[in-house]
Amino acid sequence: MDFKLTDEQIEIKRAAREFAEKEFTPELALEYDQKEEFPMELYRKAANLGFTSMRIPQEYDGQGYGVLEECLVVEEFCRVDPGLGVAVSLGNLMVPDVLLKHGTKEQKEKYIPPLARGEKIAAAAFTEPEHGSDITRLDTTAVKNGNGWIINGSKQFITNAPIADTFIILCQTDPNATPPHRGQSLFLAEKGMPGLEAAKLRGKMGIKPCVTGSLALSDLHVPETNLVGELNKGFYYALELFDGTRITVAAQAVGMAQGAFEKALAYAKTRKQFGQPIINFQGVSFKLAEMAIKIETARLLTYKAAWIYDHEKPSPVATSMAKAYASRIAMEVTDEAIQIFGGYGYLADYHVERFHRCAKITEIYEGTSEIQKLTIVNFLQR
Amino acid sequence: MAEIFVLAEHRQGQLRDITFEMLTKARELAEKTNADLTAVLLGKNVREHAKNLVEYAKRVLLVEDDKLEHFNSDAYQKVLSHIFKERKPILTVIGHTSYGVELAPRLAAALNVPLATDCIDLAFEGDALTVTRQMYGGKVNVKAVLRKAEGYMVTVRQAAFQVQKPPTPSNGEIEEIPSPLTEEITTKRFLQYVLPPPGGVDITAAEVLVGIGRGIKDQSNIPIVEELAKSIGGVLACSRPIVDKGWLPSDRQVGISGKTVKPKLYIALGISGAFQHVLGMKNSDLIIAVNKDPKAPIFSFSDYGIVEDLFKIVPPLRNKINELKAQKT
Amino acid sequence: MDIIVCVKHVPETAEAELKIDASGKTIEKTGLVFDINEWDDYALEEAVRIKEKFSGTVTAITVGPEDSDSTLRKCLARGADKAIRLTDLKFTNSDAYATAKILYSIIKNLHFDLILTGAQAGDDGSAVVGPVLAGLLGVPHATMVKKIEFGEGKAVVNRELEGGLEERLEVKLPAVFTVQTGINEPRYVSIMGIRKAMQKEIRVMGLADIGLNESEVGEAGSWLKIEKLYVPPVEKQAEFLQGSPDEIATKIIEILKSRGLV
Ligand SMILES: Cc1cc2nc3c(=O)[nH]c(=O)nc-3n(C[C@H](O)[C@H](O)[C@H](O)COP(=O)(O)OP(=O)(O)OC[C@H]3O[C@@H](n4cnc5c(N)ncnc54)[C@H](O)[C@@H]3O)c2cc1C
Ligand SMILES: Cc1cc2nc3c(=O)[nH]c(=O)nc-3n(C[C@H](O)[C@H](O)[C@H](O)COP(=O)(O)OP(=O)(O)OC[C@H]3O[C@@H](n4cnc5c(N)ncnc54)[C@H](O)[C@@H]3O)c2cc1C
Repeated sequence: MDFKLTDEQIEIKRAAREFAEKEFTPELALEYDQKEEFPMELYRKAANLGFTSMRIPQEYDGQGYGVLEECLVVEEFCRVDPGLGVAVSLGNLMVPDVLLKHGTKEQKEKYIPPLARGEKIAAAAFTEPEHGSDITRLDTTAVKNGNGWIINGSKQFITNAPIADTFIILCQTDPNATPPHRGQSLFLAEKGMPGLEAAKLRGKMGIKPCVTGSLALSDLHVPETNLVGELNKGFYYALELFDGTRITVAAQAVGMAQGAFEKALAYAKTRKQFGQPIINFQGVSFKLAEMAIKIETARLLTYKAAWIYDHEKPSPVATSMAKAYASRIAMEVTDEAIQIFGGYGYLADYHVERFHRCAKITEIYEGTSEIQKLTIVNFLQR
Repeated sequence: MAEIFVLAEHRQGQLRDITFEMLTKARELAEKTNADLTAVLLGKNVREHAKNLVEYAKRVLLVEDDKLEHFNSDAYQKVLSHIFKERKPILTVIGHTSYGVELAPRLAAALNVPLATDCIDLAFEGDALTVTRQMYGGKVNVKAVLRKAEGYMVTVRQAAFQVQKPPTPSNGEIEEIPSPLTEEITTKRFLQYVLPPPGGVDITAAEVLVGIGRGIKDQSNIPIVEELAKSIGGVLACSRPIVDKGWLPSDRQVGISGKTVKPKLYIALGISGAFQHVLGMKNSDLIIAVNKDPKAPIFSFSDYGIVEDLFKIVPPLRNKINELKAQKT
Repeated sequence: MDIIVCVKHVPETAEAELKIDASGKTIEKTGLVFDINEWDDYALEEAVRIKEKFSGTVTAITVGPEDSDSTLRKCLARGADKAIRLTDLKFTNSDAYATAKILYSIIKNLHFDLILTGAQAGDDGSAVVGPVLAGLLGVPHATMVKKIEFGEGKAVVNRELEGGLEERLEVKLPAVFTVQTGINEPRYVSIMGIRKAMQKEIRVMGLADIGLNESEVGEAGSWLKIEKLYVPPVEKQAEFLQGSPDEIATKIIEILKSRGLV
């Protein structure tokens, strides 16, 4: 057993930290938190340095590392700023991943390299207004039409939808399948195709630089070559994707917790009340100790899940444990961090309430914490 | 008789302040050690300087040569080595300046004389030389002793010593030494001076300066402080890293390699207070520093200090100044 | 063009709280983040840019403990081709002079057209290694260089003088230049760079490999011996203004008013 990162992993972590610390300034973070726009220039910069394509193989212009290395980058990015960190690490969300596993040679060559290089943005649309935690049944349909498919329906809460160039969309292709999820398929679509309309959602609680939108799909025509993998296997492909990406959500949570913790620790050392730094009060210092324990535990679970994914066969239960735990403690730690800052913590300018607002998303997207627990319980009952 | 050497520094027809600072300190050491204080002057047509120096030193060693028209460490090294071999000074004092840094280390190594650079204080303890210097950008002082030797060399920091004329002028003698340079130095040749780009803002003329340092973190934050400067009727100045990064033009730089300023008010925001910066602004009438680090050296040079994030202080300060101005109109 | 860059692994101290350790001769290093010396960072970048323009190799060399590998790996990731670390317990307490001798003993066996170092190191601020190294090698040098251009067998450099003035010098190659900050804009480490760096080897050598004897290195081989470190005495301490940012702003205004500055 060995708990040490390799020299290479340490260098990756350091490079990510250095980039984020120089680029994600608090002022930029505040600006984007207010304007709710994707930081495209920053994203391109990060992509040019390879930070956004960690898991894409080198032959497709990616870096050819594993989930663990991706997690190291995500963690450092979110540690410096949760909003910019998430936005920059989700620019080519899931599309390369699914194509690598199930795409044709042509699909891979056409879509992956520009995403790896940061020239294009990806979005993955599963959730619908009426189907969130339960996507075993979908209202969005794809109907065979000559040499292609006609897609109708709508999608909700889709990361990057308003800015994406490449989409994957999960559709019901066999409405009569039992159970219905055996009749779902994934299709590729591109920005500008008639019948594909995206609308931006405003007013999110956190991760505001990571734009979210809804999709209206009306007679969207995609050619047969846009079907990803086999017909009626889409649902399974989606679950398989989550085994990896949920670990990176756990890494987001660990990074956010770490970032807020460091701010609180520094503040506790300098803020004086009753004639001494507040860290001298056990009521404060024990909080910090608890926060540190939680973060370290979450990090271990996350790295372990990533290690299993990279070295063995993906383990949904290890992934779900990491995500459920890390996201929970991210909420707790960021909450306590605000508490340690007192009234100042409640102000945007002190850059800690943002961590709390952003942390919440890690308990919701890519399967709520309740859904993670269902996965764990399924395993326990076997 | 034992001798202490001070290498006179001059450029473009001017003896530089550091020369007199060194002479002041060296005089004290010479008195204590019963040594002669000797100024060493190299150049072309510099006899006028020698006349100036004899007021401070027992003697001036003057080497004049056309080949010494511009400072060239290789030429200086040849001449000084020649003199050293004859006279074996117990201590040689050189400025920790762009010239001294170019010359002293290599000269000391060639002569096998121990050297301490950038000293802010010097003392003989018996025949051992103890120096005070700084580490970590002025956050820590070091007392160090040089390896025992017949002679020592030091470079001293600019403005570390205050110039004092001797109570009675030394009326020293000028001793001319024929130049040992037989041929042109070809390894390294002076071509020309390069002046800073003309135009721009003259920060030395401003009454109020808002100086920003690395604590500003990003170029995009400059408008925040610029607004403050505007509302208070001042001009933006900065420390070196801000110019190095290209965030402000070089005419805004305060310090040893920038401008020396003496405004009525200098507000230092996120500047640590490295001596190279402080030298350029410490004579301002009123200095207010904002720095997150309570131990930042800048606070030893300021009248008022604020241990806070500059981004917390600047906006309310600007607002209050603006309110005040609004009331008045 | 074959370029050697001498780099140092130093603690970042601008924003850190420094404590003097029990020996009184050094600072406590735990908790400090170490990185490439700021001036060396520019030197390395300049070397890589020259290599990219004229082809050749860049070799990064450091004298320091094992931890210095992270600085060397950073150099490799940013474009250096080779790295050498000179490490030996006997090197402990080497000052800049002894360090220059150690560097010399290895560099004299290497081919180079140019050697770059930082103008000084941020920790001890000596500004000694470059020119002494040049002296030992018997090649010309220029310190505090802000611009480098190349001609036949020579370089034309701008040296920084005081007050914004510079001087232009012509220097025969090979030569040693010490680089001043601001000469370029150092690049970030990229993931691609890290992958390449990991395939490059860091050569490690000690006293026995470089043909120096013990008396030439460490404290014995140094010019300077540190007696003690201490916090600089405060001649004048600022009066600290306390309170909330708003209160502080009000206090500043009062001060400015009393001096007729607003
Ligand atoms: C900012 C943001 C970005 C997103 N990005 C994407 C994206 O890129 N692509 C995409 O497809 N989706 C995305 N989503 C959607 C996200 O995955 C869903 O919001 C999530 O899966 C929950 O679905 P829902 O919102 O419909 O909630 P619901 O499913 O309605 O859940 C409501 C509550 O009921 C609980 N619940 C539901 N079922 C059970 C059960 N069986 N047992 C116990 N509790 C249960 C849930 O845990 C939750 O607490 C995003 C969402 C947000 C907010
Ligand atoms: C030959 C030579 C010549 C030089 N000439 C000059 C010169 O002319 N002028 C010059 O300035 N320098 C000069 N330097 C450089 C000098 O040594 C220092 O490196 C430089 O002055 C440091 O600049 P700084 O204080 O802005 O940065 P740092 O030393 O990095 O200090 C930044 C400070 O900002 C504080 N800080 C960070 N964030 C905040 C925040 N949010 N709010 C408040 N405070 C914050 C930190 O606590 C720290 O004290 C020269 C160096 C050499 C070797």
